[in-house]
Amino acid sequence: MTNVLLIIFIISLLYVSIANRIITYVRVLALQGFILFGVTFLQLKDIQTWNLVLILLETIVFRAVAVPMFLAYLISRNKITRETEPYLPHFISLIIITMIVVITVLLANSIQDTHLDKIFFIVSLSTLFTGLYFIASRKKIITHVMGYLMIENGVFILSLAVGNEMPNLVNLGIMLDVFASVLILGIFLNKLGDVFKAVDVDQLSNLKDY
Amino acid sequence: MLAIILILFSGIFFTGIISRTKSISSGRKGPGIMQPVKDVIRLFKKGSVYSGTTSIIFRIAPPIYFSSVLMACLVIPFSSYKGIVSFDGDFIFFAYILALGKFFNIISAMDTGSSFEGMGASREALFSLFAEPAFFILIGSFALLTGNTSFFDIFSTLHLGSSITYTLGGLAACVLVLIAMIENSRMPVDDPKTHLELTMIHEVMVLDNSGFDLGLILSAGYLKFAMYGAIIADFFIGSLSLIWALPLFLLIQALFAVTVGLIESFMARFRMNHNPQFILALSSVSFLIFLGVLLVLEKFV
Repeated sequence: MTNVLLIIFIISLLYVSIANRIITYVRVLALQGFILFGVTFLQLKDIQTWNLVLILLETIVFRAVAVPMFLAYLISRNKITRETEPYLPHFISLIIITMIVVITVLLANSIQDTHLDKIFFIVSLSTLFTGLYFIASRKKIITHVMGYLMIENGVFILSLAVGNEMPNLVNLGIMLDVFASVLILGIFLNKLGDVFKAVDVDQLSNLKDY
Repeated sequence: MLAIILILFSGIFFTGIISRTKSISSGRKGPGIMQPVKDVIRLFKKGSVYSGTTSIIFRIAPPIYFSSVLMACLVIPFSSYKGIVSFDGDFIFFAYILALGKFFNIISAMDTGSSFEGMGASREALFSLFAEPAFFILIGSFALLTGNTSFFDIFSTLHLGSSITYTLGGLAACVLVLIAMIENSRMPVDDPKTHLELTMIHEVMVLDNSGFDLGLILSAGYLKFAMYGAIIADFFIGSLSLIWALPLFLLIQALFAVTVGLIESFMARFRMNHNPQFILALSSVSFLIFLGVLLVLEKFV
């Protein structure tokens, strides 16, 4: 069952790579939050109330509901256009992400470590690289935030891959990170949207030193 | 022997169920389930009209297309019954006999000398080219999983393992549904109801065919759907006894037809330049199935 969820997670990455609209990214991030909850819940050895509440808060409430709603609010408030505006065509994105998955599989193979759960490692590493790729290949700032969130999802899965039980402190750290990044970038974007109408990183290249 | 009878039987109703689903979901009265078959019978009674610019290729292409689909149906097994033709590596035969039919269809479209038909032919060739790796990676990974290379052996030994094979089977069924939609030129890729030659793919290729030839091409399309439905059903039937396998087969065929109808009623056709990436995504998903198989077999490099 865990494997099924992780395969769906990777398929969601492929889906994002050919998605046309920004709102699809938000939905996929919400879906990934639910998948992460499923994976962590299945990984739990014994259910303690405090631990379960923390996981629920972290995955469902935070990743699957609060952050996507906030992102959707940001998109509608700042009147960000619906297109994702990648630098590269979607077709090439799809090939690159498939290559990322293949390379991670090969990489994970070459690691001889009994403590490492390989499928978790593959999924987390490919999510990490995919997030990096999204940051590098999309024009809008809001998609940079989404790429960053995807990287955080990858790190979350990586924390499942290495330890057989989750260190709570690590998770709290990741949660704080996500929270800070979304909030800061959100406020930054709101203020920026109030002053300038267009939020496009491409326009930064017009800045010149005279 | 049973498989081909079942495929022919379900092929009669398949397209009717699709159009019935579409008409119900859009609130129309719509044609009856048997209407596609009646259309074909009406076409079979007519003679064909051939343009003066066409050659022998245009005349032989529709029978070759139809017989290639029929040949492909012969290799498909059903529960513990082999297909009429069954040998090691028959899934490669299956893919290439379909490709042969498609090739003749394409060159007959080029033969008419119409610019529209050449355009449609090039699109059809491109899309089946993209769909082919998806099919081969998919069936190839199941061949790896079971250690057999013929359809019958693959399907009869598939479900002896763990529950993960059912997962992979489900994922494979999703991919195969989409491959069937592409190969039959249905909605997300091509709109069979379109009336503009510039946006057609399959329909524009057969613009010049009429009467008996058109009937052959249409009935080959119905058979193709039932054929893919049979493969999808085989993924779940395995080697069940006949009492369970027969209703399950018909149920899966009907479900497949309803799914196609629902997809067609609730999705718009993709823009033409979005099609290649959609089809390539199928290859990526079947690649994931391949990696999953490697994981199950613990055969990582």
